[in-house]
Amino acid sequence: MAEYWGVKVEDIFNSMQERFRPEGAKDVDSLFGYDIKDEGKWKLTVKDNKMTIEKTDDLTGCIATMKADGETFVGVNTGNVDATNAFMGGRVIVDGDMGAFGKTGKLFRKFVIAQKEMTTKDYLADMFATIVPRFKANEAEEGLDVSFAYDLGGPDGGKWTVFIKDKKCTITTTIEGKPTVTLEFNDARDYVDFILGKIDAQSLMASGKAGAKGDLNMMATKWPILFEKYKDPMAGNVPQQELIVLKKIISLNEKFSTGPVMGKFLKGLKEQKIYANKCPQCGRMQLPPREVCADCRVRVDEFLEVGPKGEVRYMDIIYYAMPDPLTGQVRETPYGGINILFDGCKGNETLPHFIRKDQIEKIQMGWNEKKGTRVRPVWEENRIGDIWDIKYFEIDE
Amino acid sequence: MAHRKKNRNVGIIGIGQTKHSSHREDVNQPELIYEAVSLALKDANLTMNDIDCVVHGNMELFEMVHQPDLWQVLGTGAYGKDCIRITTGGTVGATISCASDNLVASGMYDIVMAIGFEKLQEGHTTGGITNMADPLWFRKIQSGALTGSSAYDVEREFGLERANRASLTYRIIMDKHAGLNPNAHRSFGLEFSQIDDLIRTSPKLVGELKLIEMCSQSDGACCVIYACEKKAKELTKTPVWIRDHISAHKEECFPIFGYDRKYPVLKTHKFAAEQLFKRNNIKNPLDYFDVFEMYDPATWWAIDWLRDFFALKGDEHLKLIEDKEIMIGGKMPINPSGGVIGSNPIGATALLRVAEAALQVRGNAGPHQIPTPVNHALASGFGGTMWTVMTMLEKELNW
Amino acid sequence: MGKRIAICAVAQIKNDAEYWHLRFQNMLLECFESIMDQTKVTFDMEKGIRTIITCSNDMFDARTISNNGVTDVVGAQFRGEEKMDQESINGLGYAMASILSGHDDVILFMGHCKESQGESRRMISNLSFDPFYTRPLGMDYHNVDAMQARAYMEKSKVTDEHLAKIVVRSRQNAQKNPYARENKLVSEQEVLNSPMYSDPLRELHMYPITDWAYGMLLCCEERVKEFTKKPVWITGYGSCMDRYFLGDKDLTSNFSLKNASKRAYEKAGIKDPKKDIQVFELSDHAAYQLPMWAEGVGIADEGQGGKWIDDGGMDKFNVNLSGGHLNGNPLLLGGAARAMECYYQLSGQAGDRQVKGAKRAVAQAATGGAGQHQAVIVMEA
Repeated sequence: MAEYWGVKVEDIFNSMQERFRPEGAKDVDSLFGYDIKDEGKWKLTVKDNKMTIEKTDDLTGCIATMKADGETFVGVNTGNVDATNAFMGGRVIVDGDMGAFGKTGKLFRKFVIAQKEMTTKDYLADMFATIVPRFKANEAEEGLDVSFAYDLGGPDGGKWTVFIKDKKCTITTTIEGKPTVTLEFNDARDYVDFILGKIDAQSLMASGKAGAKGDLNMMATKWPILFEKYKDPMAGNVPQQELIVLKKIISLNEKFSTGPVMGKFLKGLKEQKIYANKCPQCGRMQLPPREVCADCRVRVDEFLEVGPKGEVRYMDIIYYAMPDPLTGQVRETPYGGINILFDGCKGNETLPHFIRKDQIEKIQMGWNEKKGTRVRPVWEENRIGDIWDIKYFEIDE
Repeated sequence: MAHRKKNRNVGIIGIGQTKHSSHREDVNQPELIYEAVSLALKDANLTMNDIDCVVHGNMELFEMVHQPDLWQVLGTGAYGKDCIRITTGGTVGATISCASDNLVASGMYDIVMAIGFEKLQEGHTTGGITNMADPLWFRKIQSGALTGSSAYDVEREFGLERANRASLTYRIIMDKHAGLNPNAHRSFGLEFSQIDDLIRTSPKLVGELKLIEMCSQSDGACCVIYACEKKAKELTKTPVWIRDHISAHKEECFPIFGYDRKYPVLKTHKFAAEQLFKRNNIKNPLDYFDVFEMYDPATWWAIDWLRDFFALKGDEHLKLIEDKEIMIGGKMPINPSGGVIGSNPIGATALLRVAEAALQVRGNAGPHQIPTPVNHALASGFGGTMWTVMTMLEKELNW
Repeated sequence: MGKRIAICAVAQIKNDAEYWHLRFQNMLLECFESIMDQTKVTFDMEKGIRTIITCSNDMFDARTISNNGVTDVVGAQFRGEEKMDQESINGLGYAMASILSGHDDVILFMGHCKESQGESRRMISNLSFDPFYTRPLGMDYHNVDAMQARAYMEKSKVTDEHLAKIVVRSRQNAQKNPYARENKLVSEQEVLNSPMYSDPLRELHMYPITDWAYGMLLCCEERVKEFTKKPVWITGYGSCMDRYFLGDKDLTSNFSLKNASKRAYEKAGIKDPKKDIQVFELSDHAAYQLPMWAEGVGIADEGQGGKWIDDGGMDKFNVNLSGGHLNGNPLLLGGAARAMECYYQLSGQAGDRQVKGAKRAVAQAATGGAGQHQAVIVMEA
């Protein structure tokens, strides 16, 4: 039997069982034929998330049969021949149901030449070649239209863009359009290590070896849902226990009492009023009100209305928002968290809230020698006694 | 001293820690703990039979396990032992160290084991931290432990360039230290020549706080064994004595940072350090201590807090950093271990500070051992709403 | 006599099904103010409270680091505050160590739990089981307790009728306790007809969901006169952890409780609990636990729980005159409630339920399913 790139045709078939991915076979219940010129015929049976492969001359019952010569077949399976080109150029022919045969693409992990070290280039080719088969279309929500671009430097580097639109995933070897996020790695080797889990993204980004442009949160939250994790084909060469990670979202329903003090503050918001309470001993204003003054250890009963206008004492511009643990949603960045010193308060008696998104640039922070930007609350129309009864603050001009 | 004279002396006789990493899928929670416990027992040349009481601590909502000491008895070895669980937030590791000290000093137990752990990859860390906030209002506004306000303060006082350079110098020193510590989670091999590049390229998280300046999220466990004076002297030639410890908490939600110099905000670090040094009659802590393992969740806080802990004036704290006096070999080495910026398994982190400080006193920390003798060491913990725990360690029983 | 610490004052709010109008800060503040009022203690760094031990739980509060919401209402501003994240009784053991160590003269011990806040206490206790095996099986403290109940009732000849008797008595006793949760009195027949909750445990066999908060001032022997004329002493504490997997242990062996009480008795110099101790407060989260824990602390003979009830053991040994945990305390805080009843008894403040001449008392509480972790304290007048 002839060898191509050191691989025999039967090596590909003999390793199918080992490379089989049951998760890729969920909705497949068919027979597939392979007719390899001068080498023989093989029949693949896929049913109930299981497969068998046999060398046989009888390909009856196959929903589709692939025909190719040995070199092309090995080339396509080892990544040495471009599958699309081979098909378009007629070196690979599929008789029967083309659509059904397409499903075989998800059935197997990539063939790797046993014991051969994979180079960075091999890995990159494999990682990007498997992106489309690893895509989980049913996890993509309606209307999701995003693109993830990769700009990998170094001698083996390159550019790729992965598009997700209409629940379909496509990939190009250029960077096109305006990607939702672009990942940049100075050296493609770091990207490979990152995908193989040898180094984490934060380390790479923190040390300046990698960076991201655009909405990284979108990628961080969506990618693991939309794509199956990349499996290192070399891992198959060394017997290693599969490490299962159990994923679970745990939620507990709670009803939080507000009590008379916080209750007064929240009810105030409903009426477009902002209440602080004042310590009878040190006179400090507490915002939101607390049951006691922590400094004086006395109960605080006196409520005073403050604001609703005030000045900005401090603003945090948040560039990297974490998913909100309550909703799972990620806030759009950047946004500005401000500490407001309301009229009627002094010193550090401030309340945190948000500033109108388009006004971040205009905010001046104040301190004792310097007035900060004056702001006013923008109230929600339907108020329920919640901190979000104030939508945000805006500049009071 | 404490309220009264310590009932009896307590020494650290065993230390164990895992390698800290964000890739510990190979072990579950009890297995991770077991690694640290086994190493500590080996270090102390003891078996579980010698332990009288196990003290356990971490934060439930990070891994979503309720009263985890129950399940984790599989790894802690507490079966048949007295076992208590005390928690205080980020300070928890330091708190269980204080608790172990108290439990032994009281005479109720001769040998106590403290175990701090966290598997942050198993939960949502920022979500966990955000859940600290009052559910009635602040939880809806907060975004985890990130704030740029310390950066803003340092910047406002010393100018953006000097502040940024000090921050990155601190960061690179920690990276160099972490490079010497085989257990550290992160070490990038950063060089001082990269400061300008990093200031420019490291992504901003909040305000001036950049990704490179923030601590990591790690999986890891730490175990420390404490013994009464008699047993400590019998069991090891190099016990590390716990001289004193102090905790200071602060209220939630009332502004914890001050923006107005007319109304300065008293910080718990400053308060705790002053009280601790006063009652132990330490006039100049910078001279007295040979090493300080500081809980430094971000470079900006670290810079600012150096001033609070050592009662420094003006820009003395910045000079310490700029002159690299905080490096191993410097006047006051800070975090030879690489610190929290290097590894942060939260429930273990503050205990690691005590453990690493004790290793320095013992003199066998490994590649990150300070070359000059370490007789007096300080460890700090940070957590909650700006809480502080400080622990003083001594080589000799001569104070 | 061994070393001891004093309880100088206690404060609590009434156990209630739901403090819907208060948040836990309000509940704690009531207790805090009462302690300050009773003792005039200060927070002076030399002489006053420097350490506060609290008891609460992140899951029950639905809040990471549940103690960061309490700092101001327990007076912990710029003071040490450490949270006991187990059954509250262990907070007393830890406070004992902190005081005996010399580190603290005075400790304020406060706790809160609003069980009414969460949708389901069983969802919370389910989360104490490992995520791979026992959690997906649906184990929680209640159904694990039920397995223990089945095994124990078989071994000690405790019947459904015995459990009914325990429930009826608990509610009757609680009538005399002004801080007890208000439950309606039930007849044995009503208990026997109560719906099966987790076989063999019926709904009325389980403690009801309860909100509560408390405070106690503890201090060293040398300074007790500054705060009270009538101290009650804690003279012994012991705890013990059992195995985790149910299949790894004999559910009826009382392994952890026997060890915990042995350790507490040794420290307190108790030789025979039946003779030396006059009051017992046992944390019976479910009715079967009263006789089972009674065996564990050594006042009922092993395997004789049923007979012990028939012989009037519960009243003979003054067990749970407060109504016990069964009448209603938050799961987490039952131990503090038990200790508080012992305090009232030993200081002669127990009103209609006072045991005359009570000199020593035992409070017990468990953490986890089937009493995996047990703790016992011994108190003296």
